[in-house]
Amino acid sequence: MKNEERFVFKPGQCVMVGLLGVGECMFAIASSPTKKKYLEISVMKQGKVTTALHNCKPGDHVGIRGPYGNNFPVDAWGGKNLVLIGGGIGQAPLRPVLQYVLDNRKKYGTIHIFYGARTSQDLCYKNEFAQLEKHDDINVFLSVDKEEFGWKGFTGFVPGNLMRIHPSAKDSIAITCGPPVMIKRVIDVLINLGFSEKQIFTTLEMRMKCGIGKCGRCNVGPLYVCKDGPVFSVEQLQRIKGER
Amino acid sequence: MVEGAELQQEIEKIFDTSDVQYIIGYSTDTGGFIRIPFFAKQKQDVAHLIFSPFCVNNLAMYLKQYEGSGKIGIVVKGCDCRSVIQLITEKRIARENLVIIGISCGGVIDQKKLQKKYPTIDRSIEVMEKDDDFIFIMKGEHHQIPKKELVLEKCLHCENPTPLIYDVLLGEKKQSYGSERYSDVRQFEEKSLSEKWKFWETQFNRCIRCYACRNICPVCYCTECSAEQLNPQWLRRSVTLSENTVWHLTRAFHVAGRCTGCGECERVCPMNIPLMLLNRKILKEVKDLFEYTPGISVDETPLLTAYKPDDPEDCIS
Amino acid sequence: MKNSIIKKHQIPDFIQHLLQGYTLWGPVHEDTISIYRQINSPEQMTLEFQKCKIPPKEIVFPQTETLMRFRKEKNVTVETPPLPKKTTVIFGIRPCDAKSLQLFDTVFLGDCEDPYYASKRKTMISVGLTCSTPSENCFCSSVGGNPDDSRGFDILLTDLTDTYYVEILTEKGEELLKGFKGCTPATNQDSQKKNEVCQRAKKGITRQVSVKNIETILDDIFDSSYWETIAQRCIGCGICTFLCPTCHCFDIQDETAQNKGARVRIWDSCMYQEYSCQASGYNPRATQMNRVRNRVYHKFNYLPKTNQVLGCVGCGRCIDECPVHIDIIEIIGHAQEVKQ
Repeated sequence: MKNEERFVFKPGQCVMVGLLGVGECMFAIASSPTKKKYLEISVMKQGKVTTALHNCKPGDHVGIRGPYGNNFPVDAWGGKNLVLIGGGIGQAPLRPVLQYVLDNRKKYGTIHIFYGARTSQDLCYKNEFAQLEKHDDINVFLSVDKEEFGWKGFTGFVPGNLMRIHPSAKDSIAITCGPPVMIKRVIDVLINLGFSEKQIFTTLEMRMKCGIGKCGRCNVGPLYVCKDGPVFSVEQLQRIKGER
Repeated sequence: MVEGAELQQEIEKIFDTSDVQYIIGYSTDTGGFIRIPFFAKQKQDVAHLIFSPFCVNNLAMYLKQYEGSGKIGIVVKGCDCRSVIQLITEKRIARENLVIIGISCGGVIDQKKLQKKYPTIDRSIEVMEKDDDFIFIMKGEHHQIPKKELVLEKCLHCENPTPLIYDVLLGEKKQSYGSERYSDVRQFEEKSLSEKWKFWETQFNRCIRCYACRNICPVCYCTECSAEQLNPQWLRRSVTLSENTVWHLTRAFHVAGRCTGCGECERVCPMNIPLMLLNRKILKEVKDLFEYTPGISVDETPLLTAYKPDDPEDCIS
Repeated sequence: MKNSIIKKHQIPDFIQHLLQGYTLWGPVHEDTISIYRQINSPEQMTLEFQKCKIPPKEIVFPQTETLMRFRKEKNVTVETPPLPKKTTVIFGIRPCDAKSLQLFDTVFLGDCEDPYYASKRKTMISVGLTCSTPSENCFCSSVGGNPDDSRGFDILLTDLTDTYYVEILTEKGEELLKGFKGCTPATNQDSQKKNEVCQRAKKGITRQVSVKNIETILDDIFDSSYWETIAQRCIGCGICTFLCPTCHCFDIQDETAQNKGARVRIWDSCMYQEYSCQASGYNPRATQMNRVRNRVYHKFNYLPKTNQVLGCVGCGRCIDECPVHIDIIEIIGHAQEVKQ
């Protein structure tokens, strides 16, 4: 990336990535700002733009604008234990937090990572988790939704895995990203485990076009996910009326 | 004129005797002058139901929301019933899942004509029918006016004022008010090609692609409309003369042989585009070429899904 | 700035005078409707109209607007459309529509200013027209407006039968009249007549609705089945959104032909099913009820919370044109009676 010093961002923020003639999509920046030489995004092939991005080759030009949105208040979490709970491609917005915390390891407490997908093929960053498991103060709990031959981790949904391990809520911050149904269930489990609404953070996802709060599309109640999000605490979300 | 009490009584009977999930009718609540569509879900809701010459909407369009199982009831005028018949022939809904409350209709009021005739009327207006006249009661005053001055154009040559199928019929059976000669279409056909394009250019230039014409149409029920597809993309989203023309011609052809001429598309168009001129041209062609009129018999096969050996095929060489 | 009088029969001369230096937009009669069009000759325009179908937002925020064009040959070239050369004068804006443009300013100007909107909006000159005879569904006075509200105009005309009373409200407005000899200073009698017209106009609004505490009321009834009842007849078309002067939602599409194309901004409607539908197929506003409720809340709850302004100017177009007669005055009026 040229001129990297001009692109300043924080974990949780997003960028609009586009291809002329195809369109644009908003992606969470999946790498931490502590990684200076590059910016990473993780793209799941789903529609027109994501398919075109999958067909790109190294050296191709893409359009990027951003960073947009707010960020995880990582600097305010100093001294806390972190519980990261991701599902499917929802692991992407959690990755910059994880990388940031690892690059500033002494500032944070223990790390619990819960990550699951439909099948082991759908799990992202598999080789990175293998490395993380080697640390004593980082606990990785991977899962797949259904029985799979050769799978040695937990079989079942992510909220179930979370319940099984029941990490402590004391001095902890939980962040969860993934399909809306998973987020809802995970929040229920976290509340049951004693986490307060202030201690739980999530990122919301909505269809976006402008990314700057003008096209009106990505609202959750009075807030725009592109501008006022994507990071929200559960305390914030409980206060607003609106579909998400 | 159908008495409200009689209608409500019949509908209450239906709630008592059939296991309908809901009945779609017209409500006493005002939506301006026009009576609004209303879903009666239980017997208590029946008190809201009414029929009057202000009941313009074709309720058959709500059959698009039909979930696929269970019975529903619907109030239909003669023209609306043709849409219902068309949907039955298309297997959108089975006859046995419908309880049809037919209304023998004396013509419904064109709101635009009414407002032009009486610019100062307000929402408190009431209407009664007396033979071939309407009597409006506005601010205590009575105004009697021939129906033919205020009804929708389609009513003037309505061939089926009494619904062709029904489970209950309200009002006396009525003869047709005229026969369909497509005189407006024939007149337009006389124009030169350049005159015709100039006319449609002005009309389509005004289109704002709100898709009200599509959404109000009882036979437009594709889960993904060709206008919305991106892969492949048939129609650009941009609102230009070229794309608007493609939209209207595409829709006219997609409903060809299925459109029963209810005229709702033209009624709801906010830019007053004469959409029925297009649809009626195709209705006329369908009649001339195939001797077929959509929405007349539940036993008919939909036009474009069947062929007869003697169907004209001059276009195939 | 002194107020003036222009005789009605001098308006064509005024238009002719303006055409020399400005781009003009104004109401025209087309078939059976009134609509804003670019004016090239005085005979085109009329000020004898009730309400233009599409609000003047379409002039500064066109329904289809090219954001950039691109060509992919050996290299990719991108160009943005040129800025308008002449200042645009828009005739016949109603007070409700002028108010809506001020709301648009809070969206498109300020943070991350939209250059396409700004270039048109900052230079436009608005010549308003008092609503002497409000139409049936007008309710501007219930939402903080008035048929003679002069806010947002450079000039405001009031119809005094044979003449127009000309209120000059800004320097831009004054500039417009410079060099035009058909104006005479307004007399006290003229001013009195104007006040009478305005008083009659205010009385001409027959429908009212209270928006007192509407934000809190809506907060309380979000989960009520009231919204199901309202939405069940909605057909999900775009009429209310496209004709609404305060609606600003848009889509962005890349439209290509072979090796060239354009990125285009096009009006969109939150009433369409696919509006919020994500590529995964998940749709947070999956039912018409969600979409109808979202729209009402956007106008009367969300915008007041974020922009401290009501999102409705009471023009009544949505009520006039809704194919199934959904009526925002009734919706807001009855909201107070809804029990949770």
